[in-house]
Amino acid sequence: MVEQTAISPRRAVQNQVLLEARGISKGFPGVWEHLILDHIDFDVRAGEVHSLLGENGAGKTVIANILSGYYGRTAGEIRVKGKAVNFSSPREGLAHGIAMVHQELMLVPAFTVAQNVMVGLKAPNLSFHLQQVEKKLAELTAHYGIQVDPRARVEDLSAGEQQRVEILKVLFHEPEVLLLDEPTSLLTPQEADQLFVVLRGMADEGKGIVFITHKMREVFAVSDRVTVLKLGKMQGTCYISETTEDELTRRTFGETVPDYMERPPVKFKENALEVQHLVPKGLEDKANTAGLSFALHKGEILGLAGVAGNGQSELIECITGLRPAAQGEILILDRNMTDCLPRAFIELGVAHIPERRREVGMVEQMFVAENVVLKDYRTPPFSNHTVLNHKEITRHTEGIVTRFNALVPDLWKTECRILSGGNIQRLILGRETWRKPPVIIASHPTEGLDAKAIRHTWELFLELRENGSGILLISEDLDEIMSLSDRIGVIFESAIVGMVEGKGADREQLGHWMAGGRLPAATT
Amino acid sequence: MELAHVWGILFISLHAMVPITLAAIGETIEESAGLFNIGLEGILLLSALTGALGAEASGSATIGLLAGMGTGALIGLLFGVINTYLKGSQLITGVGINLFAFGFVALLLILLGAPGFHSVPRDAQIQLIPLGVGSLSPLVFVTVILAIAVWWLLNRSQLGLKIKAVGENPAAADVAGIRVNALRVGTAIAAGVLAGLAGAYLSVDWFGAVTKEITAGRGFIALATVVFSGLNPLLALLGGFIFGFFDGFATWIATYPGIKKIIPWQFVAMAPYVVTLLVVAGAIGRVRFPKGLGVPYLRE
Repeated sequence: MVEQTAISPRRAVQNQVLLEARGISKGFPGVWEHLILDHIDFDVRAGEVHSLLGENGAGKTVIANILSGYYGRTAGEIRVKGKAVNFSSPREGLAHGIAMVHQELMLVPAFTVAQNVMVGLKAPNLSFHLQQVEKKLAELTAHYGIQVDPRARVEDLSAGEQQRVEILKVLFHEPEVLLLDEPTSLLTPQEADQLFVVLRGMADEGKGIVFITHKMREVFAVSDRVTVLKLGKMQGTCYISETTEDELTRRTFGETVPDYMERPPVKFKENALEVQHLVPKGLEDKANTAGLSFALHKGEILGLAGVAGNGQSELIECITGLRPAAQGEILILDRNMTDCLPRAFIELGVAHIPERRREVGMVEQMFVAENVVLKDYRTPPFSNHTVLNHKEITRHTEGIVTRFNALVPDLWKTECRILSGGNIQRLILGRETWRKPPVIIASHPTEGLDAKAIRHTWELFLELRENGSGILLISEDLDEIMSLSDRIGVIFESAIVGMVEGKGADREQLGHWMAGGRLPAATT
Repeated sequence: MELAHVWGILFISLHAMVPITLAAIGETIEESAGLFNIGLEGILLLSALTGALGAEASGSATIGLLAGMGTGALIGLLFGVINTYLKGSQLITGVGINLFAFGFVALLLILLGAPGFHSVPRDAQIQLIPLGVGSLSPLVFVTVILAIAVWWLLNRSQLGLKIKAVGENPAAADVAGIRVNALRVGTAIAAGVLAGLAGAYLSVDWFGAVTKEITAGRGFIALATVVFSGLNPLLALLGGFIFGFFDGFATWIATYPGIKKIIPWQFVAMAPYVVTLLVVAGAIGRVRFPKGLGVPYLRE
């Protein structure tokens, strides 16, 4: 972690307000629970890093998208240097010196770094300034200490490097205000620290930086001020020097989340899931020939940490039958399941809480009750000789909806596509865990849930663990992995590069492994 | 085979290359931006008719070509708007254009009093350029120049970069300040103009007449050429020439004395289409298309 530099508490207070939002509100069509944003006041001044802190679903991304002109707003006013503005596209935002780095990378993978930058230039249609762009990029990278080759093709770069390209791309427009939406989500802790150095450098030049995150550590590492959002509502703005981590946590989450959930030792010795020398199909070129090997015991939570794109998705697909293996074996409850179909995995009791919940976890166009019995409809009591038992399905769905506090207008009339991510996740959690399955593959299981629901989910996982379920927890969120896991493995380039006990695991060590065991080169 | 035959086949090939290549490079532009118009055949057919009528009415071949291009532009505009701002289905719109064209052209030819056939007066046709060993249409040269120009546009200009960005990742292009839908509609119009020129060329220049089967699947072969070329206009030129060659070769064989007795002419006439199939089968999987192809762009 970066040592906190001494920031004079009110350094930025006299500086000019670059961007100001007054009473911004936003409601999305089809979302009936609450306003996505409810009268938000927010401003960023020259020379400061202003963090927007909140849980998933708090509306941080939405406000950034509104400020940058990507989304429209329902009510409220935006002022740039005191002048009211009305953007209807990101293009107008850029023209006013406001640039946004989106969480999902807005790059053209087939283009080089320089071409990606060039796309956004205001140059005559028949001109072509590739060489000048490459030259100016080289200057920018040197100036800010961001290492990236202007001629590299974006699809060949790592996620961390792509993130840097994204930042370079907006810096090229010399914006006065830079909005960064969860820029560290794809980075190792070390890479994140490098980014903070870059951001502080930009603030020192007089730019206003809006830094969006849900991680407390990062707020304290980089910001001057912080604004807390919760479920679309303002929880206040304050100077970082005048607040404490505990106070911010209370405001953000309502309650504190423990660093480590205490639990009795693992009772079982048998394997729930064993993977030997696995190389998922499609990764033959990238993966090591030794492949991926690990064992998950019954009654154990094994956390798998790693930067996205290191073979996690492919591993999950292999051990749920969605992708064949190019090499190696998959044993579930000591049965060889290599190359079996997904249904065989389901019938053996492998529950899957997928990362892409809308695409993989649900059929969005189907109704709530249909989705809840998506894996059980074949068997009684939900169907008898291929005829669905409507009454039984309704009763079962009601039970899950109630138990998991999902907000659902109607079981048989509400299509899942209009539900929020958090509510979809509640339904998936219910569907996947009600049978107390022996193996649970959970990818980012609490993403989009509020603190109370996260707490409930963790307690549910510990209960299932006591009951003998082996849980494989895959997440980029180190906090969650460290709180829940009995053991923590780190995946890098489709191989397990390190494995430690969960209790007392060292964040630095994990970050080191996540970067492939090599310390990243210094950027300054 | 005499030398005159070689020149003959070459010239037929070059003439057959023109409509396929023109339509293919137009389609290349719009596919680069993410629009896939399966209605090329329909645009060719409609503009062959309007081109012929325009030339006939004005007595000028140039006006005929312009009429064809105007027709193409109009359909391109329609296709573009439906599939961007109105978020329609590109496949269905394209099929709709084809079905409309087949029916409309057949109907209009009947109304003109000549079911299935309508010839363009000799002096309203394009004057060929005599080259000693034969004559070539000026549009052959125009096609070659356009292919090079479009290649340059797509690969060596700011506009081309924007077009490709819109096709690969429209959200990224939007964030970069590009008007995604407007640019897409623009490429659809450009594609329509080129397909319209190709159609008018068929009636005003090459055949000197319009029939309801005049296009004979050339719009679809142009689509195949786009696949073969991997969105490279220069390869589309080559692809157009290959198909043109087999087209010409088939015509030559079919008219060569004696051959009819050995191979039925229907089989010979199949040659260009069979070659199309084989080439495309070989190219598919090897070629990489824009990620945003065929998908309307929604911001929120």
